[in-house]
Amino acid sequence: MSLFADLYNSRATIDFRPLWKHSLRVSLVVFVVSLILLFTRGLDLSVDFDGGGVFEAPVAEGIGVDEARDALGAVGLTDARVQAVTGENGESFVRVQTGVDDLDRRTEIVEVLAELGDGSTDDIVSETVGPTWGDEITRSARNALGVFFVIVSMYLAWRLEWRMAVGALVAVAHDLVITAGVYALFGFEVAPATVIALLTILGYSLYDTVVVYDKVLENTEPAPPPTSGRGKKAAPVAEAPAELVNRSMNQVVMRSINTTITTVIPVLSMLIIGSVFLGGVNLREFALALFIGLLLGTYSSLFVAAPVLVWLRNRYEIDHSEKELSAEDAALAEINRVSPLGKQRR
Amino acid sequence: MADESGTSRGVLSAVLVTVAAIGGFIYTLAVGNEPLLGIDLQGGISVLYQPAEDAGEPTEEALDQAVDIIRNRVDAIGVAEPEIARQGSNISVSLPGVEDRERVLNLVGQTAELRFRPVLADLPSGVLPAECQSGEVTPPEEDENDAIVVLADTDGLRRYCLGTTLLTGTAVETASAGLGGQLVSAWQVLPVFKGGAEGIDLFNAAAAECFNATAVCPPTTSDNSGRGIGRLAIVLDGEVISAPAINAPSFGADQIVISGAFEEETANDLATALRFGSLPVQLEAQDTRTVSAAVGTDVLRAGVTAGLVGLGLVSIYLLAYYRLAGVVALLGLVFSGLLLWTIIAFIGETQGLALTLSGVVGLIVAIGVSADSNIVYFENVKDAYAEGRRVPTAVERAYESAISTIFKADFVSLIAAALLYFLTVGAVRGFALYLGLATILDLVISVAFMRPALAWIAGRPAVQEKPSLIGMPGGAS
Repeated sequence: MSLFADLYNSRATIDFRPLWKHSLRVSLVVFVVSLILLFTRGLDLSVDFDGGGVFEAPVAEGIGVDEARDALGAVGLTDARVQAVTGENGESFVRVQTGVDDLDRRTEIVEVLAELGDGSTDDIVSETVGPTWGDEITRSARNALGVFFVIVSMYLAWRLEWRMAVGALVAVAHDLVITAGVYALFGFEVAPATVIALLTILGYSLYDTVVVYDKVLENTEPAPPPTSGRGKKAAPVAEAPAELVNRSMNQVVMRSINTTITTVIPVLSMLIIGSVFLGGVNLREFALALFIGLLLGTYSSLFVAAPVLVWLRNRYEIDHSEKELSAEDAALAEINRVSPLGKQRR
Repeated sequence: MADESGTSRGVLSAVLVTVAAIGGFIYTLAVGNEPLLGIDLQGGISVLYQPAEDAGEPTEEALDQAVDIIRNRVDAIGVAEPEIARQGSNISVSLPGVEDRERVLNLVGQTAELRFRPVLADLPSGVLPAECQSGEVTPPEEDENDAIVVLADTDGLRRYCLGTTLLTGTAVETASAGLGGQLVSAWQVLPVFKGGAEGIDLFNAAAAECFNATAVCPPTTSDNSGRGIGRLAIVLDGEVISAPAINAPSFGADQIVISGAFEEETANDLATALRFGSLPVQLEAQDTRTVSAAVGTDVLRAGVTAGLVGLGLVSIYLLAYYRLAGVVALLGLVFSGLLLWTIIAFIGETQGLALTLSGVVGLIVAIGVSADSNIVYFENVKDAYAEGRRVPTAVERAYESAISTIFKADFVSLIAAALLYFLTVGAVRGFALYLGLATILDLVISVAFMRPALAWIAGRPAVQEKPSLIGMPGGAS
């Protein structure tokens, strides 16, 4: 049987264990490199965070960066960043980025740029953000992230177990830092859309990890009464963490692949349609971060979160008294016991 | 759980979901609710104003009053569907689809405080009071009513040394703009003063000082007979609009004309500002965005196309992989889509909450989340089936563990959405709102539709005979 057929029929027996050592090593290196990049190169923050202005104006043919710079220089604006941008149908735009000090002159800037085009200000897209507002955006995003981490780890520790909370957060931190590292490496601009993308990644990465961990937890719990019909998978409690996690992963690997495919498809369609066909720059930037992050999220739930859990479980053994039968499983065992369908196989 | 009452309850809830989704959608179409589009999707202006920091904390009353005044100003220039709201001590203004955005921006946000100050001297000439010695324009925070200040005209070309404020725009009852003056082609603003002590009397007292060239309003020019007379500067938000010589000691309440370097629009805007009064707080535009209608429409089109293509491809994948069970997933996606449309249109219509690009993105992301829940369930069914259960039993048995996983995972999304909604500002909030909404719907659909619908399909004799119809592995039965 091919691997796919095995996967499709939930009969896969891939041994993930030898891969973990390598994957952890690779992840650690990439993680550290990303951190170094973040500290050395830093992120190119959009005006939303630092304050400042961005103006995008359609310009007449033959007008380029130099002409725009001259026109702006004539009104005393010499330190603006000017770029030429080509639109989807080949029309030319100039993109001007100014600092906080020039905010009071936004009307002047818009008028100068209008003169480079057809004289009308109606087609100019602009965005100006004051420095205090930029600070507020940055601060609120940072706060939300911090509180999120605390609450989610508490929730996971409660619903799953504390080792899983740690493992999930390690995986999430891994995904976030590496995605941010990619942004630092290529100098992509970080806009609020990017932050949204990062937060989404966080959610997905957690979703994937929760699916894997939940299976591990299900397999960890004491075997239900023998009449339950849980069959061959009712594991002996003493199974070593590595085997247990590996077995659980084999059970969910198709699920992980499928959920990744179905989440990547919409994002990919945003990435392609947003950039190739419709020239929506916002969509493209957003989808890029999402795309990188989603792939990382799937990888990390299988190759980072899982080995971290194995390691933690080896290091801090489970006290079995803490693993009581959860209410829902007790109920389920009861149903299986009394239900005639539960016993009757085939 | 697989007993008769349970099954019929399940069918009932599935029918309810179907009816609610389709009925809601029909209702939405019938009453004509449509999602309110954000500025980034249809073009226009959005501005977020913050009270100026050095002016101290403004009162609730002042902020509410400011919102009303801004609304009046916006209405006066005829913007359709403006959205003006307070967010804490900030005021957000969204004006979809306006033209001449720069002008609108200036009108909406200006404090519009009109002051009448006597001209003490034209800089740099003349004998200057100590306050004006430096010749530097007084910074806004020191530009108090009882201070002697240096202010420039609109072009910044001429500077005046001005005495303390003699009266303000509160003495003005209403105002209009019109053509007039010596050449009859110049735009002017015609204020009408209130009657009595609070209005025209204040103005006439000031006029008398200048006409008589007293110490309050010293002579800085002369009339036709060569007698020295004073001038009264008209100052709007710290800029001198004009500084006419006062050649009569008293005026009628409607005889005063403000002439300056006006064009039709600037004259009209000043009249509008005078009519609705000055803002009780000084506002600073913190986040100003203007989007052209063309760009907005493009972005909307890209977002909607991406969403539909994504939905289509996900559907094809689910159908190919899970066959009839994929139909359940697809219907679930369609129903949650219909419900979302109803909700978004409803809150757009009633709460004035606009759907922005980040909201659209949240929704596209939610397609993936919903598909995930279905996959988790279907894969659990396959596991249970592989363990040797019959299809209907597998569907029942798998639900318990699947829904537990779905709840845990969706709950993490909900925590994220709630935190983002309450702790952040701007675009991230829109994203959080729609992600949260879609996640809640995912839970509802999973419990009330996905399970009973799959159970119903699993109970069909054809499926029992041929489990591969719902994507079960072939070899196990």
